[in-house]
Amino acid sequence: MRRMMIALAAVLVAGAAASAREPDLGKMAPDFSATSTKGAPVKLSDFKGKLVVLEWSNHQCPYVRKHYGAGNMQKTQAMARELGVVWITVISSAPGEQGHVDAAEADKLTVDRKAKPSHVLLDPRGQIGRLYAAKVTPHMFIIGTDGTLLYKGAIDSIRSSRQSDIEKAKNYVTVALGEIKAGKPVTDTDTAAYGCTIHYKEGS
Amino acid sequence: MKSARAISAALAAAAAFGAGAALAQDTVKTENVTARLLSERIALVPGRTAWLALHFEIRAGWHTYWLNPGDAGEKTEIVWSLPPGFAAGEIQWPAPQRLVEPGNIAVYGYTGTATHLVPVTVPADAKPGERITVAAEARWLVCEKICVPEEGKFSLTLPVQAAPPGGDVPVDGRAADLFETARAALPKPSPWPARFALSGKVLTLHLEGAALDPSRIVSIEFFPTATGAVTAAASQSVRHGAKGFVLSVEATSKTAALKTIDGVLVIKEKLDDRTVTQVFALAAAPGAAAESGSGAALSLGLALLMALAGGIILNLMPCVFPVLSIKALSFAAHGGGRMGKLGLAYTAGVLSLFAVIGALLVGLQAAGAEIGWGFQLQEPLFVMLMAYLMFAIGLNLSGLFEVGGAFAGMGSKLAARDGLAGAFFTGALAAVVATPCTAPFMGAAIGYAVAQPAPVALAIVLTLGLGMALPFLALSVSPGLLRRLPKPGPWMVRFRQLLAFPMYATAAWLAWVLSLQAGDGALLAALAGAVLIAFGLWLWQGARHGAGRGRAAAMALAVLALAGAGGLTLWAERGEAAPHSATADARWAAFDVAKLEALRREGRPVFVNFTAAWCVTCLVNEKMVLRSEAVWAAMKKKGVVAMKADWTRRDAAITRALAGLGRNGVPVYALYSPGTPPALLPQILTEQGVLAELATLPDRPAPQRAGQ
Repeated sequence: MRRMMIALAAVLVAGAAASAREPDLGKMAPDFSATSTKGAPVKLSDFKGKLVVLEWSNHQCPYVRKHYGAGNMQKTQAMARELGVVWITVISSAPGEQGHVDAAEADKLTVDRKAKPSHVLLDPRGQIGRLYAAKVTPHMFIIGTDGTLLYKGAIDSIRSSRQSDIEKAKNYVTVALGEIKAGKPVTDTDTAAYGCTIHYKEGS
Repeated sequence: MKSARAISAALAAAAAFGAGAALAQDTVKTENVTARLLSERIALVPGRTAWLALHFEIRAGWHTYWLNPGDAGEKTEIVWSLPPGFAAGEIQWPAPQRLVEPGNIAVYGYTGTATHLVPVTVPADAKPGERITVAAEARWLVCEKICVPEEGKFSLTLPVQAAPPGGDVPVDGRAADLFETARAALPKPSPWPARFALSGKVLTLHLEGAALDPSRIVSIEFFPTATGAVTAAASQSVRHGAKGFVLSVEATSKTAALKTIDGVLVIKEKLDDRTVTQVFALAAAPGAAAESGSGAALSLGLALLMALAGGIILNLMPCVFPVLSIKALSFAAHGGGRMGKLGLAYTAGVLSLFAVIGALLVGLQAAGAEIGWGFQLQEPLFVMLMAYLMFAIGLNLSGLFEVGGAFAGMGSKLAARDGLAGAFFTGALAAVVATPCTAPFMGAAIGYAVAQPAPVALAIVLTLGLGMALPFLALSVSPGLLRRLPKPGPWMVRFRQLLAFPMYATAAWLAWVLSLQAGDGALLAALAGAVLIAFGLWLWQGARHGAGRGRAAAMALAVLALAGAGGLTLWAERGEAAPHSATADARWAAFDVAKLEALRREGRPVFVNFTAAWCVTCLVNEKMVLRSEAVWAAMKKKGVVAMKADWTRRDAAITRALAGLGRNGVPVYALYSPGTPPALLPQILTEQGVLAELATLPDRPAPQRAGQ
């Protein structure tokens, strides 16, 4: 009987990961494992003790181009990496859709754009994307050293595709990482992400 | 020659308008949009408001965005350059459309055309005869699957002219229709006060005193002005209550921070042969009265009452009844003053298990899993273990093996401690075996429970448990009732053996459910596992009465056999799901939120059958009512699209759709009809009931589409 209840609890907890509802702030961020474009196994729970940033990307989306074109995303990545943050870029475009790339193309993008992610993950079936209910590119998440979700939402505060707005905007990710490192609570934890819709596989 | 004449004519026209027309243009053609800046009237009147419009003709299949773009995108923006004293107001946004995309994403925007009206105040000291150039820089995002930011520079030169006494300057004939149409699409102030209430993940908007005729309503949809105020992709449901209309929408993590819920309400009504659209601006204040809805909105008291009744009915379910009757008879055989204690122990057993399930349900929902009542049965592993359990109980009832004084307890000497533990265990077991049988009254109560804060939800689940324990508890405390049970005797052995068969039947049914969830490999594993269990238990029983080395060997073999069954279970878990449901029927379309929304927009009625292979009530309804030719003939006559939402496996979209209807379990039968808000049919269907519900729809041949 007891063993059965334990089995029940175990399958339910494992199954809970398959949900498409937005992950809750302050709760454990859904775990996932995948292989990076460099062939390295990447498992979120292995980064316990470190801060993790998830960034959804589609290099052809005007909003992604805004932040990469102006060097803003790279600057944010460099700042985060300096703080010891693990930065994971996720590409959830389905095959045949805008932004879909293979590992070699993804790595070339990283080099060409002088981007500084720790890992780039390809998610053509949208599994990680749906786990986090990621809706747009760029959609940002910050996961704390204890594995809880600390921030979800936009890269910054001005919803536009113009590079000139970056200067005037508040970079939520930079500010939140600074606050976390200073031991302060995060001011903006839940903002409205903006960008292009992620081109998920049909029927999802 | 011809073109030269045309050019000179154009130049003459430009000269007539004067005002640096060389760079100025009122039309910009981009790849995806033809945009035009227009004035409603031919001249500007000092001291009055002039109306201008930025009008888009959008490439087919593409869309631009509303004030709140929804999950993605960006609203259209206009930056004005006006002479001193002139001031442009905000864009007056027409009501948007909701466009649903894969991945639970929805945006709010416009397809075809979009007209952005802007009021411009003309200073009182503007001089008649003067020519004023109004310049605008507009930026918009236009998307199909991919998105393109576009922009255009516009200018318009208009003369200032004094209005004739008591009148206005003439309307520009070319623009008249466009402005009239655009103005009709603007939201008007809501005639009804609106309030909102947030309960868990469900936001309800209450329109007090909304005197709308429910039989005319095609659809009611709410668009919030704040991005992220509601889950854009979730479907919304409307109920007609005593005090007005209640709209239920799915909240987001950002909803709780909002002090008012502002937005636009789009109501489509059928008047004669056409659909009339009304758009109202809504500003809902907090503090809606919870009981102003009807139907799915239950009060706590009623929910508790229904939970209690549902629990009592669980006792009659084929999988529970055998376990209970055996226990009841053992009580009768036992007699004496310890009955009360045993009854309480049994109740405690039931309640503990319901508490565990309730806590798991609440806990996992809080952790973000989209699950509902019966969620255990969406796990193939659990279904397989349940099948084994039912089978083992059946073998026990058949007399293959005895569990010394545990749940069956018959014929064994019940020691005081064993008796209480046994009663507790029976209670817990009864609660486990009851879960596949969703009693008719439980759907609404559980649906209400999961939308409530955790303590209330647990109270409802525990009340359900209490209801289940109640008949037994009554039996144990009332000697009068106990005396009415038949006298124990040798017939009880036969009766007990008879009761094994419902258990076998339940096991067989669970094996079938498993084959749907995890394929025939899993079914084979389950059947082989069952044989191993029977073999192991038989060996075990023999070994108990044996001695020495033979006993040890038999015991070891029994353990091996049982372990083999366990191993098979784990192996089966890796099985792939069967590609189609065994209940599949070409007449049923698979449930799809986007398709449902599209059909509703077209004014097509849709019947959605929320079902699962593990739901007995669902299967009975399907077999007895939904396969009836009369029902299908009626559906065809009314042009109803039949959709099946199969919840056998976990499905977040279906869980959300159920939540939109105020439910959290199956069966649910919803008729999304063009005449009324979605109607919920009873959980136990009758042919007459379904036909009566279908009869409320207007006749319509199936292939014909409703006029927009």
